Amino acid sequence: MKKQIVVVTSGYERFVHWLMAISCLLLCYTGLGMMYKELNFFGAIFGGLKGLKTVHDICAVFFAVGLLLAIQMWWKEAGVFVFPEDWEWIKAGGDYLWHVDHVPETGKYNPGQKMFFLTVALCGLLMICTGFFMWFPHYLPANLMDWVYVLHVLGFVVIFAFFFVHLYLGTIGNPGSVSAMFSGKMELPVLRMLHPKWVKEMEHEGKLMIVEDKK
Amino acid sequence: MTNHWNDFKNADVFLIMGSNPASNHPVSFKWIQDAVERRGAKIICVDPRFTQSASRAHLYAPLRSGTDIAFLGGMIKYILEKQLYHLDYVLNYTNASFLVNPAFKLPGQNGGVFSGLKDGKYEKDTWTYQTGADGVIKKDKTLQDPNCVFQLLKKHYSRYTPELVSRITGTPKEKLIEVYKLYGSTGKPNKAGVELYAMGWTQHTVGVQNIRAMCIVQLLLGNMGIAGGGIAAMRGESNVQGSTDHGLLFHIWPGYLSVPTGALTTLALYNEKQTPKTKEKDSLNWWKNKPKYVASFLRSMYGKNMTLDESYNALPKIDDGANYSWLMIFDQMYKEKFTGFFAWGMNPACSGAHSNKVRQALGKLDWMVNVNLFDNETGSFWRGPGMDSAKIKTEVFMLPCASSVEKEGSIANSGRLQQWRYKAIPYYGDSKPDGDIMSEIFFKVRDLYAKQGGPNAAAITKLTWPYGKYIGKEFHYEPRKVAAEINGYFLEDKKMENPTKKGEFKEFKKGDLVPTFAWLQDDGSTSSGCWVYCGSVDKEKGILPMRRGQADPTGLGLYSEWAWCWPLNRRIIYNGASVDLSGKPWDPSRAVIKWDAKEEKWKGDVPDGVGNPGKGRPPFIMKPDGVASLFGPGLADGPFPEHYEPLECPVERNLLSPQKNNPAIKRFDKKGVGSDLDKYSGVASCDPRFPFICATYRVSEHWQTGVLTRWCPWLAEMQPGMFVEMSEELAKMRGIKTGDKCTVSSARGEVECTAIVTPRFKPFEIDGNTIHEVGIPWHFGWITTKDRTYNSGDKKAEVFTTGDSANLVTPTIGDANTMIPESKAFMVNVVKKGVK
Amino acid sequence: MSEKIKLYDASKCTACRGCQLACKQWNALKAGQTEHKGTYQNPPTLQPNTYMIIHFQDYVAPEGDVRWLFRKEACMHCTKAACVTVCPSGALYYNKEFKTVGMDREKCIGCKECVSACPFEVPRYDKETEKVYKCDMCETRITNNMNPACVKACPTGALKWLDKDEALKIAEGRVQQLGGDANVYGDKFVGGTHLMYVLKEKMDVYDGIKKDPKVPQSIFVWKNLLKPLSLLAAGGVIGAELIHYMIRGPHKPHPEHYEEAKKQGGA
Ligand code: HEM
Ligand code: SF4
Ligand code: SF4
Ligand code: SF4
Ligand code: SF4
Repeated sequence: MKKQIVVVTSGYERFVHWLMAISCLLLCYTGLGMMYKELNFFGAIFGGLKGLKTVHDICAVFFAVGLLLAIQMWWKEAGVFVFPEDWEWIKAGGDYLWHVDHVPETGKYNPGQKMFFLTVALCGLLMICTGFFMWFPHYLPANLMDWVYVLHVLGFVVIFAFFFVHLYLGTIGNPGSVSAMFSGKMELPVLRMLHPKWVKEMEHEGKLMIVEDKK
Repeated sequence: MTNHWNDFKNADVFLIMGSNPASNHPVSFKWIQDAVERRGAKIICVDPRFTQSASRAHLYAPLRSGTDIAFLGGMIKYILEKQLYHLDYVLNYTNASFLVNPAFKLPGQNGGVFSGLKDGKYEKDTWTYQTGADGVIKKDKTLQDPNCVFQLLKKHYSRYTPELVSRITGTPKEKLIEVYKLYGSTGKPNKAGVELYAMGWTQHTVGVQNIRAMCIVQLLLGNMGIAGGGIAAMRGESNVQGSTDHGLLFHIWPGYLSVPTGALTTLALYNEKQTPKTKEKDSLNWWKNKPKYVASFLRSMYGKNMTLDESYNALPKIDDGANYSWLMIFDQMYKEKFTGFFAWGMNPACSGAHSNKVRQALGKLDWMVNVNLFDNETGSFWRGPGMDSAKIKTEVFMLPCASSVEKEGSIANSGRLQQWRYKAIPYYGDSKPDGDIMSEIFFKVRDLYAKQGGPNAAAITKLTWPYGKYIGKEFHYEPRKVAAEINGYFLEDKKMENPTKKGEFKEFKKGDLVPTFAWLQDDGSTSSGCWVYCGSVDKEKGILPMRRGQADPTGLGLYSEWAWCWPLNRRIIYNGASVDLSGKPWDPSRAVIKWDAKEEKWKGDVPDGVGNPGKGRPPFIMKPDGVASLFGPGLADGPFPEHYEPLECPVERNLLSPQKNNPAIKRFDKKGVGSDLDKYSGVASCDPRFPFICATYRVSEHWQTGVLTRWCPWLAEMQPGMFVEMSEELAKMRGIKTGDKCTVSSARGEVECTAIVTPRFKPFEIDGNTIHEVGIPWHFGWITTKDRTYNSGDKKAEVFTTGDSANLVTPTIGDANTMIPESKAFMVNVVKKGVK
Repeated sequence: MSEKIKLYDASKCTACRGCQLACKQWNALKAGQTEHKGTYQNPPTLQPNTYMIIHFQDYVAPEGDVRWLFRKEACMHCTKAACVTVCPSGALYYNKEFKTVGMDREKCIGCKECVSACPFEVPRYDKETEKVYKCDMCETRITNNMNPACVKACPTGALKWLDKDEALKIAEGRVQQLGGDANVYGDKFVGGTHLMYVLKEKMDVYDGIKKDPKVPQSIFVWKNLLKPLSLLAAGGVIGAELIHYMIRGPHKPHPEHYEEAKKQGGA
């Protein structure tokens, strides 16, 4: 079967994604290393726990920048739900949870992706805010500050879990999608599966860039 | 101290008055707390300010600075009236029964002064006792004779009613009574009360009389000589006791031998005039031995380089009637009577009353040598605030000396305990121990005298100096040799009868240490640098102050094997008064000494004054008549303490008598006495320019003028600057808030302070008027401040302090007996900085 | 060796501050430039270079008489120490013998979690070294059979280093002896503290004293709920994914997606 490859992301988009992803990953890694005494050894590669914290602090800045850029970039496409299509999609479980013959068509990002994005965006913002106050604990009253730590970990619980969801869906869960964030290209059928409406729109507008046919 | 620090643990009632031991003698509270906890002892604190000591007291009573005698006079009256006194003690161990010259007049009948006042001086011919034909003092053992000391005492203090005392002191009447009652409870033979004083009592024009008043209280209550009793003179420096013992003051030689005056032209004359005599047949009159101590002292100075007479003649005499105390020195210096000055381990530019005068006086010198650990306000006076160094001719030499931990030696603490201290670290940089510096100077001066001669050259050239040895070119002073010289030696072979055991003979070789001062001789065969320390170095046991034995068989905390205590290792002096006439302790549970009938000797502390039980020897053997003085004719300003107002005071008149101030003080404001700088306020009448009473004091964190402590960052961090404590009422009146910068000024100068507004100071109601008092610490000085000018090489404090010396405002007026300045009661104004 | 308590008897303390100085000396803490603000209390608060201070407080009792209250402020060495619970690095730890809270400053990463957690506001963060400082009960001394430096310096017996049972007994005894409002502070919260006070006045009279110190609730939520939840949730997700993969398999394009591509043809 011949495969059509489509350009789906720009270099900028990929840069922002990885900026966020890598920093987030490092934040998770370093955060874990700090949270569990048993995992303190994570710090070894950064020259100890103090290094771990330093990396966390630095990544925090990158993450914050990445997240803000991502929000700015993706908000329109992934930040707002469009009804009724999105609702239909959700009802159908997006073809993920059970098989549906016809998946309701959604925009560039389906509601699942939107939910993921919103979660990352909101939790990310939460992490940034709470993390900031953790740097300067005296800016807030002590009893408020106590809960800042809780929120930071709460955000982590969600982000960490979603990270695996994202990882699964971005790789083996959706074979063929991962290339979008490496080469920026995707096989058209996969793209159509994931973003049918968007493909149509692009086709309509003649923007669909097919770069290669593969046998 | 008549007793010693540990002995506080035996007390039932503490009277803290004239001191603040919680701040300034913190370790005292180890033993005070012990007594409180174990014995249920009670603490009374009487102070113008609610101090750290007051915070631990069970009973606090405020009193206006300078009215202690009124307060204590009221207590004496209360004790006599309520018959709280210890009758047997008073009768047998004091001069209560002595009959006084009927011509003697009390201030109550004599316009506020005792009989004999002439031109600001007392002629004491009426301050005498009635004697029989045999010269023995007449007594009335019933204490009824109107001329007996007891009746005179009663009469004198009958004027000190609680109402009047309260009007003078500002202490509420109920508080007075409460204090009197509680302290008076120690008159029972099985109760002990102790008084703790320091500079709060001495630094007054009536300083000595403050203490005398308390002595009377303690004698009436039978508190002298017993465990948990006594009068605790808490010294302000670790070795004040030691330096006083060794002749620090101008008028005494080591061992409290009076310095001869010009009129005493020969040793024989001196001995005749200065040796007390008595006709009381049982009295030991220990001072009859004075010629032995004088001879031994002279020998320690010159050995056998001169005869005793020559030695006596060589030593300087005091001009008759002259006074060389602190205030006089700087007065004379200011009047250009000095060319040179050694400021050795002191900082008069901050410690001297009226420091402005002192700082000016230093500028009149040709040269000054400043021996100290650090540069200080004295050494650098010429570049201090308000000084024009171009106009100052004084050449200043700084000799850095080693600190106490950089050399060995001993100190004698308030309890007369001489303890050896060892060198902990080598001395720093170019510094040297004081002894080395002194030796070097001495050798140079001696060589100059030897070469060039001069008046009385022998006084220098014939001095013995066997205190050390040369290592290379440098002479190193050896404190252990000094310790031995202070103890004293036999200067020739001698066989002697034991002075305390008839019939027992002992043989000594030339160079042997003298065992105790009982063996000292007046014929020149012994030496002793300071007789009270004779017995501190032993031929076998070595330097006894090095002992660290911890045995305490009596459980009273005597620790007789810990270091050594003068005299004769006696821990509680006058302890002969702790037993009754038959030798039984007044309080067997606290027996300082106990007669062991089997062994026929006293056990416990080294007995003081007592003969064998029943022998009738009165125990106060340092008194010619053997008993303690309720009537004390020895002082310059009266045989009984009488209340007089401080020279600078907030009241128009003395409510007790027409005589406002102590009549016997030296008045610098009299024509031809002081200088243009000796200014006062509120002397004749109140001066509205300086309406507030002020007292100086110390804090725990700093020491004296702060030369040693201001440079210590940890201490400066805790107390970083000059402050003034004042009541909320005064602060409101002056618009001052806590933390504001204020100016405290007196007729003599001013000093900038940070305000501490506190309810711990309260205004006094004095005879219907509201009178405020403030207090300032005297530890600060400009040299450790941030904004002074620094030259390259000047040391900067790691933590800067603010403010200058409190003594910029204190007066140049002293006690009638000692001339100690009246820094605890003088008049100032306080305003917010910048307010005129 | 057993659990020990440093007992501070405010009724005996004279505020001589020997303890404050000894603490600096033993711990080799530098002095800072302070300013006189109209109180003896200086430095005004605990600092990275000040592990303990004596509080000075003027107090006019309801009866009208003046008192001067002193209080030693330092790490309370909680039995349930919030700081230890939150410390990610193991820098803060319980001394196994004495149950005090020690500190291995080498390990501290300066995260300040203890700063927020401590109900007594004790740990102080130092910007320079990026570490936190507090009293460690003189760990190096007590583990070598010596008294804490502050206790050693105390001349009045206000500070004592005692076996727990004895300390509680003595404290109770003092309260009885003092009567009135005297009370023990430290035995009733955070599982009991290892610095305890005997106070002469009612507790709430003392400025700055913590009236109801608690290990913050949030720490429970954080450490006991969310912390395990983070791994559980992630684990759950991974598990769910495995199941999903096995049952549902990967999400592959439907034939229609290819068809459409065919329809479209190359562009
Ligand atoms: C995806 C983003 C992030 C994740 C997954 C993450 C994760 C974590 C985790 C697991 C902890 C340990 C909590 C504990 O000890 O229980 C932690 C601590 C912390 N985080 Fe984050 N974090 C993120 C972002 C941020 C950001 C953006 C900041 C700063 C602006 C920040 C600042 C901190 C701080 C100050 C701590 C305290 C502990 C320390 O510094 O060692 N974090 N984080
Ligand atoms: S007082 Fe604070 S720092 Fe000290 S042990 Fe308790 S929680 Fe930790
Ligand atoms: S700042 Fe240091 S001591 Fe405090 S919680 Fe973090 S790592 Fe532990
Ligand atoms: S125990 Fe040690 S560290 Fe703690 S306050 Fe006392 S001296 Fe300082
Ligand atoms: S050393 Fe003792 S008496 Fe002095 S301030 Fe500290 S606790 Fe109080």
